[in-house]
Amino acid sequence: MGKMLVWETKMDVALARAKAENKHILFDFFNPG
Amino acid sequence: MDAVTYPNDSVVEFIQKHLIPLRVAFDAKPLSTNFNIKWTPTLITLDSNGKEHYRTVGFLPPEELIPSLLLGIAKSHFNGERFNEALSVLDKIIAEYPKSDSAPEAVYLRGVCKYKSTHKPQPLKEAYEQLQANYSSSEWTKRAYPYRLL
Repeated sequence: MGKMLVWETKMDVALARAKAENKHILFDFFNPG
Repeated sequence: MDAVTYPNDSVVEFIQKHLIPLRVAFDAKPLSTNFNIKWTPTLITLDSNGKEHYRTVGFLPPEELIPSLLLGIAKSHFNGERFNEALSVLDKIIAEYPKSDSAPEAVYLRGVCKYKSTHKPQPLKEAYEQLQANYSSSEWTKRAYPYRLL
């Protein structure tokens, strides 16, 4: 089995990580079905 | 996306290296309202302040997602007038993903970046010439059409 993405689910957590790691955010609005 | 694109090893590696992946359901309030979400998947590139710089709607295969994400990063740099950083990312799209749907826009934006950083029109004309030569049917070739006269 290959690697899997680990998604953040909270905007504030993603923003804090983005600042700390100097990265952009991929924000995916998806249909959980 | 979950069946094909996100499990792809190259996609996983790229996102882990360059981005913070954040995902919520399309109807999660208030975010879905704030971002005016009408269809899925909607993929948005945000900077670290939460400002949107690029979005796509609809499925993207692995070979299109990576250059599309790079384009989003490049647009964030462009919007922040960090032209050297934007050019570095745009060059990567053009060199490594020349057949992707993002490549023609990258060529166009590269010309604009060079123009805005030098105030010389020649890069705009060069962008049109490159688009006409390599992506003649692209909408970005049409958008660059006036630059042929520079």
